[in-house]
Amino acid sequence: MFSYTFQWKQAFARLPVMLEGAVVTIEIALLSMLIGIALAVLLTGFRLSGNRVLSGIAATWVEIARNTPALFQIYMAHFGLGSFGLHLSPYTSLLLGITFNNAGYLAENFRGALKAIPDTQTRAARSLGMTPVRAFGHVVLPQMLRIAFLPMTNQMVWAILMTSLGITVGMNTDLYGVTQDLNALTFRTFELFALAAVIFYLITKTVQIGARLVAARLFRY
Amino acid sequence: MRALLTAAALVASASVAHADKLDDIIASGTLRCAVVLDFPPMGFRDENNNPQGFDVDYCNDLAAALGVQSEIVETPFPERIPALMSGRVDVGVASTSDTLERAKTVGFSIPYFAFEMAVTSNDSSGVTSFESMKGKTVGAVAGTYEAIALEEQVNAWGEGEFRPYQTQADVFLALSQGQLDATVSTSTVAQANVKSGNYPGITVVGKAPFDTDYVALFTNREEYGFINYLNLFVNQQIRTGRYEELYAKWVGGDVPSLTVPNAYR
Amino acid sequence: MFETALTSSDLLFLAQGAGMTLIVTAIAVILGTILGVVFGIFRFQVGPWWAAPVTFVLDIFRSIPLLIQLVLVNAFLGMVLRISLSGFTVACMVLTLYTSAYCAEIVRGAVEAVPNTTRRAARSLGLTWRQDMSYIVLPLATRVALPSWIGLALGVMKDSALVYIVQVTELLKSTQILITRLQEPLFLLLICGAFYFIISFPIARFGGYLEKRWSND
Repeated sequence: MFSYTFQWKQAFARLPVMLEGAVVTIEIALLSMLIGIALAVLLTGFRLSGNRVLSGIAATWVEIARNTPALFQIYMAHFGLGSFGLHLSPYTSLLLGITFNNAGYLAENFRGALKAIPDTQTRAARSLGMTPVRAFGHVVLPQMLRIAFLPMTNQMVWAILMTSLGITVGMNTDLYGVTQDLNALTFRTFELFALAAVIFYLITKTVQIGARLVAARLFRY
Repeated sequence: MRALLTAAALVASASVAHADKLDDIIASGTLRCAVVLDFPPMGFRDENNNPQGFDVDYCNDLAAALGVQSEIVETPFPERIPALMSGRVDVGVASTSDTLERAKTVGFSIPYFAFEMAVTSNDSSGVTSFESMKGKTVGAVAGTYEAIALEEQVNAWGEGEFRPYQTQADVFLALSQGQLDATVSTSTVAQANVKSGNYPGITVVGKAPFDTDYVALFTNREEYGFINYLNLFVNQQIRTGRYEELYAKWVGGDVPSLTVPNAYR
Repeated sequence: MFETALTSSDLLFLAQGAGMTLIVTAIAVILGTILGVVFGIFRFQVGPWWAAPVTFVLDIFRSIPLLIQLVLVNAFLGMVLRISLSGFTVACMVLTLYTSAYCAEIVRGAVEAVPNTTRRAARSLGLTWRQDMSYIVLPLATRVALPSWIGLALGVMKDSALVYIVQVTELLKSTQILITRLQEPLFLLLICGAFYFIISFPIARFGGYLEKRWSND
């Protein structure tokens, strides 16, 4: 019934190139998560600071990141900023777009997590003589990261999937970009993208299983 | 009764098997063409956002020859073949280079248009010729003939950067913004975009030493009947002077020859 | 920046794109939710082992990029099976399954959140499974699920920006088409972003409000 002839060999021959692309994809996702977490902690701090300007900045960031498409954010990072003469390479645009998105979502997760940590703990830490920053860093932050660990894992998976959007800003070294370039050369759309899908699946599963192992280790009590 | 049903089924399946694409198009009364609509003057949208251009007219002519209605299906460059393979369009009238690699997957007609490749640069980039693109950031539309050639050239130079964008518009937008120093595109497209005045600060600076880019109509590889028809249609367009007419209307200047010296096809 | 070549017919064109975004989203969310509820309850009901195949398939939709899902399904239906479907149909199918995969997770979590003791109490009062489901589980689970479901629905609306890849001209694509002609990227992108924001923001706020209200009692 299939009149279509599969040419898997053509796809497998390109596997090494695609795996190189996968490395770039993982690299961007990891970087965007690390910077994103740092920014999200900062944004959470802004929100708690009580300073109107700072919490306004944080709220705007979070709402824009959460209420517009990621594709839009990445396109904006490249062509929107380009209108101001600020030229970012596809790699940087993609990284910036995903990081912006990550930070927004994570800040919201952190805020939710903070609610679960009783205020009395901060007060207790303060009465032990800790500065506000110390109390936050040593008492609140570790618990917050623990509660927000699962959402963070999900965000990491999202970040990996979002790298595929880099094609709109001329990215061709990540897994999706490499696959599309190969597709333009050979037109074996189905085989190439099926292979890319399997690689993406393996990456996200590895991240999820890895996160579970890490969680079991870190949060044993 | 059962025998009758089986026979009916056989007849039905037999008639399905015999109708080829050409029959299907004539029977359906509509010819669906894949056309790239951000590729002026070959395909673009006018101020009412209606499709216009050489490829659009060419599709309309083909539909008229077949005696059916034409339907323009907007298709970005990277999506031309998937659109055909998934049966969303019947034929590609999409300025598609007839490379051997692609002919493994789709069937091409004889060439219906030929492009020279031109270098367009941002005025502040200092790129004045093809050679001076060495070491610069250059780009082209992903999946096109010139993109593939240019990427190879950048790799051969060993310096500079190549960026493929999804659409011709994104390439010129990036070039105009200064994200790209230069691009290689078909000269007709380059002239049309520079002339449009939409993109300030860019100039066509010279030819790119790539082979002439012959583009052909394409359909499914096994549809010989339809491919034959397409070949004859392209021939008739030239014979009747319609090709020259369309060329004057959309491009202007010397009409490029569609034949290769010393070769049959 | 406010001097623009944007005409009323261009605005209409954008509005059509926005309409397409909303239609695709509505179809995917409605059908995806129905499927998701079925899958979610099925997974809860038969236990992890028997549900493994369903879990596995649904998990795929959450583990590979939506762009690849669209390209693959499109290529598979068209190139391999030679079924000619419009890009719109393919987009709706893929987004529906995508939605159902996430929705099934939400539903399963919500049903699990209903205390077993409550359900046992209901059953020992003589309620049938069906009665237990509709009078006990449904109201309780809805409270848990609704805020996440709203988040999912908005997520699908934002992700629908990717269906341009199967030739559906939704909001972001129509914006790009206009950018091609008018060359006012920043202005047009801001309009496009504002549209998503105006729809998404109030609904997201409403979801947050529900979550807060319901978690207090």
